[in-house]
Amino acid sequence: MADTDAAGDADDEGAGSGTAGGDAADRSGDDADRGAPAAPTGGLVVPVEPTPTLRATIAYAVEAAVDDGFSTIHLVEIASWRNGDPDADSRAAKAERVLERAEAWANSDLDDLDGDRPPVTVATELIGADEYLFGPDDYVRVLAAYAKEHDAGAVLLDPEYTPVGNTTLLQPLEFALSNTSLTVETAPVTRPTRRERLRSEATGGRFVAMFGFSLAFYLLLGDPFYWFDWVTGIATAAIVSITLSRVSIDTEPAIPRTPMRVVRGVIYVPVLLFEIVKANVEIARVILDPRLPIEPTLNRMRVIVGSGLPLMTLANSITLTPGTLTVRARDSDLYVHSLIPSARDGLFDGSLERWTRFVYYGRASARLPTPRERDDCAILQGPDATEELPIAAADGGAEPSESGETPPEPDEGSDAATPEVTDG
Amino acid sequence: MSVVDAALVAGYTVGDFLLLAAAGFTVLAIGMLYRAVKGPTMQDRVLAVNVLGTNTVVILAILSAALSEPTFLDIALVYALLNFLMAIAISKFTVERGGVL
Amino acid sequence: MIDALGTARVALVVAFTLLGLFFTFVSMTGVLRLPDVYSRAHTASQADTLGAGFGLAAVALTIGWEAAGVKSVLLLFFIFVTNPTAAHAIARAAFEEGTVPWTEGDERR
Repeated sequence: MADTDAAGDADDEGAGSGTAGGDAADRSGDDADRGAPAAPTGGLVVPVEPTPTLRATIAYAVEAAVDDGFSTIHLVEIASWRNGDPDADSRAAKAERVLERAEAWANSDLDDLDGDRPPVTVATELIGADEYLFGPDDYVRVLAAYAKEHDAGAVLLDPEYTPVGNTTLLQPLEFALSNTSLTVETAPVTRPTRRERLRSEATGGRFVAMFGFSLAFYLLLGDPFYWFDWVTGIATAAIVSITLSRVSIDTEPAIPRTPMRVVRGVIYVPVLLFEIVKANVEIARVILDPRLPIEPTLNRMRVIVGSGLPLMTLANSITLTPGTLTVRARDSDLYVHSLIPSARDGLFDGSLERWTRFVYYGRASARLPTPRERDDCAILQGPDATEELPIAAADGGAEPSESGETPPEPDEGSDAATPEVTDG
Repeated sequence: MSVVDAALVAGYTVGDFLLLAAAGFTVLAIGMLYRAVKGPTMQDRVLAVNVLGTNTVVILAILSAALSEPTFLDIALVYALLNFLMAIAISKFTVERGGVL
Repeated sequence: MIDALGTARVALVVAFTLLGLFFTFVSMTGVLRLPDVYSRAHTASQADTLGAGFGLAAVALTIGWEAAGVKSVLLLFFIFVTNPTAAHAIARAAFEEGTVPWTEGDERR
């Protein structure tokens, strides 16, 4: 433990505050802030709220606890209600669930660390429910009392921590905490946002395609036999294609390929319509049945259709056919929620996937094994579950298995790491 | 003679029938309002409002046919666009606060 | 006054309107009865899309081959593309907020 600490300190000689950096190397930057007092022992208090950055904050708390030698991580939820309020019970139950989830994350992170599990315990507590709390000072008072009682010397704040509604309490909280003997740090984690560039290169082909499409759309809404509509239409189409041709069209239109895709798409539409009507009748029967015989599960399916427009077509087709709903499309992994088992089986038989391949790549590539034969599908819930539900990974935290090495910056790692299927 | 004015039964025209259908859609929309009010989560509400919006588009279109008011369809088109934008914007905004706007 | 083709068209309009009402009713029932966001999104995206599709098809048939009729067909296509996308976006937002899908045995919400 001492080794890692020393190394961390050396690394972070010049680093600023803990909040500035975003990556794992910064994790001991807070030591500089803490100044003279030796690394605190005892407990680390982490106030918990269901924020998008909670997962990453917990991962960071575990790192910090291991590196700085805390013996206990206290996950506390400060109640923003009072016992005896009309909905106090349901809110407390909700808070308990959040705490349970946070505890499970912390424990799994501890288990996943290299080598033996460090001697860190995780405690959860719901505090402050016996009185109304007004403003940051009250919160800090409750926190400080808890910390004193449990011999904890440090507080780690989630950067999105907002105990009361949507008011930003973080800065006042930090300020109020700085008046206590506790050491305070904000976890250097960021909310998962994706900011990749949408644009592709501007080319003549794209411009012409976009121009023609928008002009046709304009004249369809207007009157194609009136000269003024042509003038305004050309002006509008020019503006649209100058600004948006790089954003909207993602692959270069090519002469034999693009019209062929359109023709095959026209073949696909009646097929899809028929599927929709057929399956809708089945779903209508289920929904109107007084017993409501549904068996919803979440499933994962890896599809081979390429990315971009084909994937969108497939995901939308899946959503349109009743009983299945695309919840998440992560590269070529589709998370599909299914309402009834027969819809799920139909999905795994992959007829929609085959049709999408047919529309975009022609007849030859339609003949691939179904997802079931490829073993590319999994049920994530219910009695037949074959895989765990990835909810923990979904809300922004790093994958539990990786969190030992790389806690924050989940946006780049998790999205770029998975291989992408390209046209072919 | 257009289809709207074609007699259906007992002196009522297709236009009257369409007006009745629009009333039916409105009643169904009121039913959905319950989910928009009750929630319980934000996504439930967005979903209910989205469904309500689709319903409104259909009602507008049917009224346009029944009353022979083609301009209603333009409004329906704009409404459909806004409805879609609303659903996308709110769901994006709840997930990636500050990531879109 | 109205020929056989016209009669067929009127019959189709009536049939499509009734089908549209029926599927919208299914969608409403689903949105009210089903236990969680994900299953509600099913009916919201599917039954409702079909209901709206039938309704708009009836409108297009009523108006016939005019600018307004073309517009209602356009509206139909638009709804068929956007409705599943919107439902997907909402379901995804719920998923990323960590809402666990309801399974049998959970209490109804």
